Amino acid sequence: MSTSDALEQELDMLLAKAGATVPPHLKPGVLAGYREMKGMAAMLHGSRPATHEPSNIFSLKPFLRSA
Amino acid sequence: MAKPLHELSIAEAGRALRAGTVTSVALTQHALSRIAAIDPLIHAFVLVTKERALADAERADRELKSGIDKGPLHGVPYALKDIYNTAGIRTTCHSKLLLDHVPSEDSVVEARFRAGGAVLLGKLATHEFALGGPSFDLPFPPARNPWNLDHFTGGSSSGSGAAVAAGLTRMAMGSDTGGSIRGPAFYCGVVGLKPTYGRVSRRGVFPLSYTLDHCGPLTWTVEDTALTMQVIAGYDAQDPASADLPVDDFSKGLGQDLNGLKLAYPRSFFAKQEGMTDETLASLDAAAQQMGKLGATVSEITIPAYELFNACGRVILTAEAYAIHEEELLTRPTDYAAYTYMRMILGATLSASDLTQAFRLRRELTTLINGEVLKAHDAIITANGLSPAPRFEEFAPNMPTKMTLQTMPFNVTGNPVLALPTGFAKNGLPLGMQIVGRAFDEATVLRVGAAYEAATGAMGKRPELEAAIAA
Repeated sequence: MSTSDALEQELDMLLAKAGATVPPHLKPGVLAGYREMKGMAAMLHGSRPATHEPSNIFSLKPFLRSA
Repeated sequence: MAKPLHELSIAEAGRALRAGTVTSVALTQHALSRIAAIDPLIHAFVLVTKERALADAERADRELKSGIDKGPLHGVPYALKDIYNTAGIRTTCHSKLLLDHVPSEDSVVEARFRAGGAVLLGKLATHEFALGGPSFDLPFPPARNPWNLDHFTGGSSSGSGAAVAAGLTRMAMGSDTGGSIRGPAFYCGVVGLKPTYGRVSRRGVFPLSYTLDHCGPLTWTVEDTALTMQVIAGYDAQDPASADLPVDDFSKGLGQDLNGLKLAYPRSFFAKQEGMTDETLASLDAAAQQMGKLGATVSEITIPAYELFNACGRVILTAEAYAIHEEELLTRPTDYAAYTYMRMILGATLSASDLTQAFRLRRELTTLINGEVLKAHDAIITANGLSPAPRFEEFAPNMPTKMTLQTMPFNVTGNPVLALPTGFAKNGLPLGMQIVGRAFDEATVLRVGAAYEAATGAMGKRPELEAAIAA
């Protein structure tokens, strides 16, 4: 399966979960937008050190037992 | 030779009204005549409220004559982006879904204009629900750029930018969630202010994103923006985002030079961005140099990449817009214009974790801009658009052309931003910049903008629409 097919399947699953039926003529545009939005969302999930939020512990890493 | 009436600024019109050398009715009739002649070319208005305008003007003339003075906009015509509720007057958001929507109450901004004796000319074109555009599949056509009718106005306050540039109104209200005041200000060569988040009430304005929506004016001059802010700014207990702070004197810095001010110039933020043109960059470098000549100390700085601010803002905007429109997107998808639907439905693909990370990043970026950059500097001079207004034909049917604007960062951080023209590209289309200030320090932003405007007179000419009408 190509990356593009996988992306479209992923999009279809997310839209189905939301109960959305995309009009067929708009699907290519929605898919193009999803590709871009997925990239932007991924950018937000970068790791941050604890010093970025000193008042709160948000990372498990210091507390995980070593394997 | 006396200026044509539409070229009088709000300040000049106000002096003439009080001196008795012009009446509000004359200003209004002149505006209505220009709208009738020119708007068929640029489609800035979706509704002209002729009877209301003339009634407002007649009342203003009576009041001013009897010594009642309601402030800087008394007797001055204005127009509203068609997402601002106007009691008894259709407010459509430029959408088929709200074509018959007639609100029973004014938005707070409109109520303040009424109380200030201003004259409502009508409702202005917008991207559908302040997001989808430029669209040709909506009840009304999109607005066109008065500098070249084949070119985009920017959006979503498309009609606002076009109407001010074309001299149909001295002031138009817009809204800005990712650049929707500043983009049209850039592309149409007018002044636009996105005030600090919470400075102007959003009650009665159709929301796009609760976290990022700002209401603000577009005008021909910086002084006119300051005068407008004096009327519309102020706490509203019923807007949860409204800031309970005293209304500043927004004009207090006008006329001052920039001696003692420290300005930051983050050149690397935009200089090598995809889409930046040599002439746009040259105009920004020249603007920074001009600020130095006016007495400011300009320092080049570095801030995090634009893409990070943009990703943060786009995820928040898309999630919140989807939440607002969820039911209609699922049940009436084809009642939206294609661009609106394609952008909004993406909210269904975002996770709670995506949004949480966006809010965390928003706080970090805001702390950096406000706690570091604007602690060491009084304002930031930075790019607005990276290139002049595109042609309509450049917009792909599948997805809107990627806008080359760097406006989203300051929706994320909530700082006040003035969009100010800097001149023209070789193709005759406007160029401009952003001046970013500390939270609630619109006065400094306006001071910097006014000093630059006075020194350069950047927009010394108007679009030549009379020739287009005659043709």
